[in-house]
Amino acid sequence: MDRSRLLKSVAVAWFLLTLGAIVYATRLALVDAPTDALQGNIFRIFFYHVPHSMLSLVWPYVNLAASAGFLFWRRRDPLRALTADAVAIASAEVTLVYATICLATGMLWGRVEWGIWWTWDYRLTSMLVLWLLFVSYLMLRALSSTGQTKTLAAVLSIFAGIDVPIVYMSIRWWRTQHPGPVFFSSDPDAGVDKSYYPAWIANIVAWAMWGLLLMAMRYALERRRQQREQDAALKAIEDSLEFTR
Amino acid sequence: MKLSWLFGPTMAQRHLLFAYLVVWGIQGGYAAWVAWQWWRTKPQGQ
Amino acid sequence: MNYGFHVWAHLKKDLRLEWRSRDSINGMLFFSLLIVVVFSLAFDPTAVESRHISGGIVWVALLFAATTALNQSWTRELKNHVLEAQRMSPAPPSALFLGKALSNFVFVTLVELVLAPLFIVFYNLHALGQARLLWVVMPLGTWALVCNGTFFAALGLRTRNRELLLPLILFPVSIPALLGMIEATTGILAGEFDPGLWIRLLIAYNLAFTTACLLLFETALSTE
Repeated sequence: MDRSRLLKSVAVAWFLLTLGAIVYATRLALVDAPTDALQGNIFRIFFYHVPHSMLSLVWPYVNLAASAGFLFWRRRDPLRALTADAVAIASAEVTLVYATICLATGMLWGRVEWGIWWTWDYRLTSMLVLWLLFVSYLMLRALSSTGQTKTLAAVLSIFAGIDVPIVYMSIRWWRTQHPGPVFFSSDPDAGVDKSYYPAWIANIVAWAMWGLLLMAMRYALERRRQQREQDAALKAIEDSLEFTR
Repeated sequence: MKLSWLFGPTMAQRHLLFAYLVVWGIQGGYAAWVAWQWWRTKPQGQ
Repeated sequence: MNYGFHVWAHLKKDLRLEWRSRDSINGMLFFSLLIVVVFSLAFDPTAVESRHISGGIVWVALLFAATTALNQSWTRELKNHVLEAQRMSPAPPSALFLGKALSNFVFVTLVELVLAPLFIVFYNLHALGQARLLWVVMPLGTWALVCNGTFFAALGLRTRNRELLLPLILFPVSIPALLGMIEATTGILAGEFDPGLWIRLLIAYNLAFTTACLLLFETALSTE
């Protein structure tokens, strides 16, 4: 039981650290960072928006790796494959959470700065397609029949992984061909004033920590569900064998 | 730490506030759901 | 008994089965025709506009029509435990996939061949760009839809709500291909830009996903 107590303490410690990091980063974003000369205070949305966008491009790779791992271990080491599957579903849901926040905060900013809720610029469109891909992944998991879910979802994840770079390039070319408004005139990636760095970095770190925490929580939940499934399956087999002790 | 500038009638102020609330709402809501489900699912041994 | 023999055997089987009833083809044809009519009501384009939008309309119509036929192409394998027999036979599973994808490709192409003259009539179309390139774009686009469509239809085989699931998982993955085929067709019809970039995208997309489908089909087939 020592391992489980250790894990519990690590989890609680990580949780408190993360909360502290988020509070600190938020304070930097709302109070310490100077007000933008061009945009005013609405610029502060970026301190939440950009870290979420960046991270929502990282978690899909976790999902891809976990799905590939699942397919690899499926026949060779079924228990390890179950672990991989738990990581896959956890990272998929966390991706969806981060992508949703990216889209929502982007729209709230766009309405103020550009007067429009949405435009089909390449960044927004690519993010929307990523969002759609992960919704379709979760739908497949929900609708498929129980024995097949993990394998089918892993296969779809591989397809989505191949698709993501193609989506990005194709939408970029589309927007080069038919130029439309670029959503971020003050491109956050290029030439950001040094005084914003503390808030950026603090938020990136804080939300990355939070993402890892979420994935760990969801992973633990999935492991419990897998355990319950296995117990139920075992019980069904035992009942059908009519043991006499 | 005065945050009174955050609350006001302009769209910029409303949307900035909404944005932060939306982030906390979605992140907190998801975390709460996971925690609730985890607590509800009995561990090994039923 | 090489790979090509197996593919040809599966292809012949599907073509023969479909030709006997022609349900799929007739359904697809009429469905795409209806979509074209509904879009004309929705947009009522002039001749100039129609060149810009008919590329989009034809591919949307084909996308929806193909989706209705794709599920049905697999359900015939479920009858009489044919799929179990396929799994137990030593023939390579990807040959089954390729044969079925090719047969679906043939059927959708037949639908296109009938639809194209209708389109030209309804929208008073005449291509301002290189019309010959359409002979390249149409098959490339059709294969992109049919290849992934056949694969995802197989994924959903034992799913409840099978008809619902296919478009949900097919459309997001197909977005780059759809962009490619629509832009290429519009470029050819309107003559305003070079469709070459989009044709190259379609080729790359087809190569990547045909490979993925062939490699992963056995995994998809042998679940549970």
